[in-house]
Amino acid sequence: MDALLDEARTIWEGEIDFKGQRLVEFLTYTLLTISGLLAFLVGFSTQDIYRTLYIGLAGTALTFLICVPPWPFYNWNPLPWLPAKTMKGGGAQLQGISIEVDGRKIS
Amino acid sequence: MHNTLTRVQNVFGFFTSVAFAAAAAIAISVLLSPQAPTASLELRSVQVVKGRPHYYSTKREEYAHIKFDLDADLTTLFNWNTKQIFLYITASYPSSDPSTIPPSEAVIWDAIIPSNYAPWHQNTYIHPTPKATTKVKKTAKKGKKEIGKAYPAGAQPGIIKLDGQKPKYQITDVSSKIADRSNATLTLHWNIQPWVGALVWTNTKTVGRWQGLQGGEAKFNFPPLKGTEVKKDELKTETGGERNRGSPA
Repeated sequence: MDALLDEARTIWEGEIDFKGQRLVEFLTYTLLTISGLLAFLVGFSTQDIYRTLYIGLAGTALTFLICVPPWPFYNWNPLPWLPAKTMKGGGAQLQGISIEVDGRKIS
Repeated sequence: MHNTLTRVQNVFGFFTSVAFAAAAAIAISVLLSPQAPTASLELRSVQVVKGRPHYYSTKREEYAHIKFDLDADLTTLFNWNTKQIFLYITASYPSSDPSTIPPSEAVIWDAIIPSNYAPWHQNTYIHPTPKATTKVKKTAKKGKKEIGKAYPAGAQPGIIKLDGQKPKYQITDVSSKIADRSNATLTLHWNIQPWVGALVWTNTKTVGRWQGLQGGEAKFNFPPLKGTEVKKDELKTETGGERNRGSPA
């Protein structure tokens, strides 16, 4: 039951990795700006305001489709968690990994 | 942007900014489309009688019934951002003391002229068919009912050709006396209603690419009061599409 709930929460939250976040931000601003500009220019050149409306709405729908769901390519660069310190071996797995916080070495 | 909900919020938030910017660009772009409206407005007849001008009038008073001819070309007012124009004709006449009291102004006729892209609405104006073509129309009418347009057949929105048009509204004065007033003016006005942007009223001066209205004014005097020699038929008014509003009585 808990596993099922966890899975449901993962789907609902749809988290993506840091590089994915940078990518999705770039895509949101680019796609919406382009669709807005295109909508105005096409409508103005054909003198048909309905074209502006529909191109703008279609561009927005496309942006929602591309940017909102956690598509796999937003999760290509996940940051791995460190192993737990309470693991067998008293944190032997931490050997060889240097952790720095504010320039100070912690381990 | 780390989870679905924030992504929805961010995309929608920026969409509103883009939509606002596009709307602002559309509203400003109308300044680029040239306008050159022309109109010829003439008084056909004016009669002043005494009676109850409306069904709900509580007193008998003098009222004026003004017929006019209008030949207007307002097609350039219809650009890509024009939804419809509200066209109206006023009669204005100076007050008894022009230095302190402003002139009176009353609407005698109006019409909503939609653009070809505007959705159909029952209140919009239906241009009367010129008399010469009514006989030809009758034979074609048998098949299906033709939907009237706000301009003569074969023309485009903004063309108005009215010959001896009855007023929609008789006009009265607050003093109940309107006969024998002189220096009155019939004036054509409009209000352009865009899809997005500002409402624009009649401009008589040239601003940028928008030329002022040429013509659209007629001087006249109100005649003396007439008695019962005026036939009721002569004083009929036009009803617009808005008579359909609300439930049928």
